[in-house]
Amino acid sequence: MKSFLSFSLLLLATLVSAISSTGDRLLAVLDDVAEKATYSKFLGDLESRGFKITYETPKSESLSLFRLGERKYDHVIFFPTKAKGLGPNLTPNLLVQFLNQKGNILLTLSSEVPAATSLVSLLTELDITLPSDRTGLVVDHFNHDVLSAADAHDVLLLPVPRPARPDVADLFASGAPADTPIAFPRGAGVLLGAGPLLTPIVRAPATAYLYNPKEQAEVLAADELFGAGAQLALVAGMQARNSARLAVVGSAEMLSDKWFDAKVTKVGEKKEVPTYNREVAKRVAGWAFQETGVLKVNWVEHRLNEAGPGANVSNPAMYRIKNDVTYKISLSQWDWDKWTGFTVPANDDLQLEFSMLSPFHRLHLAVDAAHSSPEATAYTASFKLPDQHGIFNFKVNYKRPFLTNIEEKNTVSVRHMAHDEWPRSYVISGAWPWIAGIGATITAWLAFVAVWMFSKPADARVVLKKTQ
Amino acid sequence: MAPKRHNARDITPSAAATTQAGPTTAGTVPATAAVTKPYRVSVTTKDSWAQVVGNVWSHYLKTTPQRTKLIDVFMAFLIVVGALQFLYCVLAGNYPFNAFLSGFSATVGQFVLTASLRMQTTEANKSDFPSVSPERAFADYVVCSLILHFFCVNFIN
Repeated sequence: MKSFLSFSLLLLATLVSAISSTGDRLLAVLDDVAEKATYSKFLGDLESRGFKITYETPKSESLSLFRLGERKYDHVIFFPTKAKGLGPNLTPNLLVQFLNQKGNILLTLSSEVPAATSLVSLLTELDITLPSDRTGLVVDHFNHDVLSAADAHDVLLLPVPRPARPDVADLFASGAPADTPIAFPRGAGVLLGAGPLLTPIVRAPATAYLYNPKEQAEVLAADELFGAGAQLALVAGMQARNSARLAVVGSAEMLSDKWFDAKVTKVGEKKEVPTYNREVAKRVAGWAFQETGVLKVNWVEHRLNEAGPGANVSNPAMYRIKNDVTYKISLSQWDWDKWTGFTVPANDDLQLEFSMLSPFHRLHLAVDAAHSSPEATAYTASFKLPDQHGIFNFKVNYKRPFLTNIEEKNTVSVRHMAHDEWPRSYVISGAWPWIAGIGATITAWLAFVAVWMFSKPADARVVLKKTQ
Repeated sequence: MAPKRHNARDITPSAAATTQAGPTTAGTVPATAAVTKPYRVSVTTKDSWAQVVGNVWSHYLKTTPQRTKLIDVFMAFLIVVGALQFLYCVLAGNYPFNAFLSGFSATVGQFVLTASLRMQTTEANKSDFPSVSPERAFADYVVCSLILHFFCVNFIN
C-alpha cells in the first residue's frame, strides 16, 4: 500500500512536471485581474498544461520578478495595460536581466492601448521597433474578415504560418488544416532588425499596412508609412543566445475567448470557417515558454577508432595526428510533455567541426541508430585527424531559428608522432636500396679491416729508397 | 730535334701546305712529311698517353705499399656504392629521406674516414703527423667508423 502510494505520488509528480522543460511558474501582468476572464480559454489551456499562473497588476506592491537574486517566475506574459509605465518593478533593465537569467517573456500589443514605455524600451533593446506613438493599426483591404470588419478591414485573416525556409523546423503549422485562417483582430505590427536572433512567426500579407487611426485617419502619406506588407511582423520571436525566448503577439485580442470560437469569412467567399487561433496561441505560448523546440545534449563521446591500447577509452584528453576517431552526440527534443529523439529537419544538416581557430574538418553527422532510443537520437561521424598537432575542439554548433542553441565544445590535445611510432625503414620498400648501401659499406669495411690486419706492413726503408 | 722543329715552324706558314693547327705539330715530326702529318701525330699522341698512364700505373704499383693499395681499392668501392645510391635517389625520389641521408652519409663518411687513414699512414706524410703511429691511426679509424655505423643504422630506423 505504501509503495503504491509513493508510486502514485511519483506519477503525480511526473504529470505535474510534464509541462515546460524549464519551469512552471508563470506571471501574468494585466491591467486589472478581472480582465483574465477575457482570456479564460487561453489561460485555462496554460493551466491545464501545468503552469501555475500568478496574476498581478503593474501597480501591485508585491510584484517582483526576482527574490534574493533568483528568478521568482520562469515565464512572464504581458497583456496590454493602460498605464504609460509599468512601475519600478518592471523596468526594461529588470526585464533584460530576467531574460539574461533564462526567463521567458510573452508580450502582447494592441491597437487600442499604446504599449508601456518599459516594454517599448525592452523591444528597442532587442532591435524590435514599434511605431513612434507606441501603437498602430494593421489593416488589409484584401484579406480581412467580411463578417466582423466589413467596413473597418482591421480583422485580418492570415494563413497558418509555414516555415519561411524548407530547412527551418515547422513548429507552428505542422498538422494544421489547409484552409483554416488565423484571425488577427485590431492589432499592431512590429519591424524586426537584421539580427540573427529575431525571427518573424507570422508576417503581414503583402497588401497589409500599419497606420495610426487617430493621426492618419484622413490621409496617409507614403513617406509617413511605418511599415507595409511582409516587412511587418504580426507575431515575432526572439531567442537570446542563452536560449531565453521572447515572443511578441501583435494583437492581444487574438488570444481572447471571442476569437478562439469565432467564425470568419474571407473576402470573396461565403463559407464561414472556424479560426485556428486557439491552436496558434497554444503553439506560440508553448514555444515562448520552452515547451517546443527545446533541444538537449544528453551525452557526447569521442574515442579512438582503431585497434591498440586506448581503443576502449571514452573521451580521452589526447590523440595523435592522423588517428582515426569517432565522435557521437546524443540529442533530445522536448515535445510538450516528454523528451523525444531530435530529428534534423529535412534539407538541414547537423555538422561536426574539428577546429583549431578555424575548422580543419566540417563533417556531416549521420544518425546512429544503434545508440538511439525513442527519447534520444545519436549522431555520429568518423574521420582521420589532420596532420597537425595542437589543441583542437570537437565542436557542434547548431543554431537554428526556433530551436535551442546548441554549442557543444570538447577540447582535446593532438600530439605529434612519437619517435618510435614511425614505420620502420624496412617496412618501406623505397628505403631498401639505401639499407643495402649501408650494408655494403659496413660489410666492405669489415672485410677491409680484416685484410688490413693480416696484411704485411710495408718495409719502410724499401719504400723510402724507391721514392728517392 | 730542336732545330728541326724550329725550321718546321718557320717554314709551314710560308709554304701554306699545312692543313692543321699549330699545337699538334709538337713532337718528333719531320717538316717535309706534310701530308702524312696528322695521322702519324695522333697515333703517336695516343701512344704517348697510354705510355703516360702506363708509367703512372707501373710507378704506382711499384712504389705504393700494399696497405695503401688496399685503402685505394676500398675507397674506389665506396665511390661506386655512393654513386649508385645517389643515382637511385635522383631517379626514384627521396621518399624515406632519412633512409637516403643515412645510407648516403654512411658511404661518404666512410670514404672521408678512409681518406684520413690513408693520409696518416702514408710514409711521405710522416713529418705532418709526428705523434701518430700507423697503429694509432688505424685504431682511431676503427673507433670512428664504428661510431659512424652506429649513427647511420640508428638514423635509418
